[in-house]
Amino acid sequence: MATHAATHDHHDEKPQGFLDRWLFTTNHKDIGTLYLVFSFTMVCIGAAMSGVIRAELMKPGLQLVQPYFFNEMTTMHALVMIFGAIMPAFVGLANWMVPLMIGAPDMALPRMNNWSFWILPFAFVLLLSTLFMPGGAPAGGWTMYPPLVLQGGNGIAFMIFAIHLMGISSIMGAINIIATILNMRAPGMDLLKMPVFVWSWLITAFLLIAVLPVLAGAVTMLLTDKYFGTSFFNAAGGGDPVMYQHIFWFFGHPEVYIMILPAFGIISEIVPTFARKPLFGYKAMVYALACIAFLSFIVWAHHMFTVGMPLGGELFFMYATMLIAVPTGVKVFNWLTTMWRGSLTFETPMLWAIAFVILFTIGGFSGVMTAVVPADFQYQDTYFVVAHFHYVLVTGALFSIIGAIYYWWPKWTGRMYNDKWGKIHFWWSVVFANVLFFPQHFLGLAGMPRRIPDYNVAFADFNFISSIGAFGMFFTPFMFFFILWHSKRHGAKADARAWDGARGLEWTVPSPAPYHTFSTPPLVDDSLLAHGDVSH
Amino acid sequence: MSPTPDSYDPQARRAGVRRTAWIAAAVAVALFVMIILKGVLG
Repeated sequence: MATHAATHDHHDEKPQGFLDRWLFTTNHKDIGTLYLVFSFTMVCIGAAMSGVIRAELMKPGLQLVQPYFFNEMTTMHALVMIFGAIMPAFVGLANWMVPLMIGAPDMALPRMNNWSFWILPFAFVLLLSTLFMPGGAPAGGWTMYPPLVLQGGNGIAFMIFAIHLMGISSIMGAINIIATILNMRAPGMDLLKMPVFVWSWLITAFLLIAVLPVLAGAVTMLLTDKYFGTSFFNAAGGGDPVMYQHIFWFFGHPEVYIMILPAFGIISEIVPTFARKPLFGYKAMVYALACIAFLSFIVWAHHMFTVGMPLGGELFFMYATMLIAVPTGVKVFNWLTTMWRGSLTFETPMLWAIAFVILFTIGGFSGVMTAVVPADFQYQDTYFVVAHFHYVLVTGALFSIIGAIYYWWPKWTGRMYNDKWGKIHFWWSVVFANVLFFPQHFLGLAGMPRRIPDYNVAFADFNFISSIGAFGMFFTPFMFFFILWHSKRHGAKADARAWDGARGLEWTVPSPAPYHTFSTPPLVDDSLLAHGDVSH
Repeated sequence: MSPTPDSYDPQARRAGVRRTAWIAAAVAVALFVMIILKGVLG
């Protein structure tokens, strides 16, 4: 582990003035904070949209909004939550923690880092502005399938430009993370000594670079189909709309893993800390991440079973998809064995981590169910799929992000928060998230389609319960904000090693982490790394 | 890039960062062009 003298830098000068500090910043911690604040804002906007959706669906019949506006809400909710909330939150965590965890003074390309972030607000202003345009916002679903999406108004052009900007931002962020991890590690921080969170982000960054240009290509062709007379996806002009689906899901399935691999990394940091044991099977965890990333490239057509494909194709994509359960199972097993016979305590971050393991596994199981081709013909486009991916993305990705913020907050701010309030936030969220999403499994199995504002009265009861859960979840961002605000103002001072069992370079610097850290390279001591003393 | 960083030579790091960034950016641009070509060529 680094010595205190080596890591405690005696210059903590922050730029003076709001614009210099936040608009022109090249500091990885400030940019991490900007990403997290942006993500929180987007969560609130996306949650408001889901509030409209669940309010409309609380009872059968058209209640509150016009069907087209309902479709705008489902489309924008997905785009905002995926590209505006979950992805930027993980990038924010990476910005804050990757340099601290590998002993680097900053990200490798700090100015590009600033640019990566500041593109995002403009992208989302463009996207959200379509809600106020003649013709309205895009309403054809976040997958933007032609020919439906091309029938919308000029909001489509704004959506495509916004997606290009988000893609450029994410690719630049990914380049920065890869360059940082491969070139900026402290002496002695071998690749197989890096914290699993760093590994998860290295692999995620490769995925981002491999698939975001594919999405950019797909939406560029949509744009030329709509405005420049091409027929890439227009059957009447000799194009092929199904090709769009293949290209989109070649991006879309790895995108799912982009949103969950960093979560795996976070859980692999939190669980050993509160079990007071090294991570079980460190190398297996790293290889499982790489294996999941590889498999994510060869399963895309499981989103398209009902489109029609040869039997051999169906079998290949079904079995390849099921294969992902193996490395994922390795990870769940290793988290459990890390906890096994540990000196467990259940502070707030650990509760979120345990909830992640249980609830993400439910989402994983329903994913295996949808991988079964004949069964998928029943599940396709039903609320079962909605339940599945919300278990993965809300109780999986989002819960891990909240757990990570509770875990590293003392390092960021130098303040502890009220653990009792954190636990109330946790239990409130876990109860209402399940009330919200679990009944949707039953709705889907009974045949309720997704993306509809009205439904058969047979689905009324479970929809009512689900909407109650949504209204309960509505309070959680406010609870979270209040707990963190109170901590920042009144919280007890945090030690450098805020948690008893915490290990790793980031816990060797004071809390709050100085503005500049590791200007002098730290010395790495294997025995105190988070995953213990690995021999290789 | 080395699996075991044993020096903190700033010049070597800058060169490594530059090389990594350009390779990654080139891969991203190449993939974008290839997808468009796939669309054009069918």
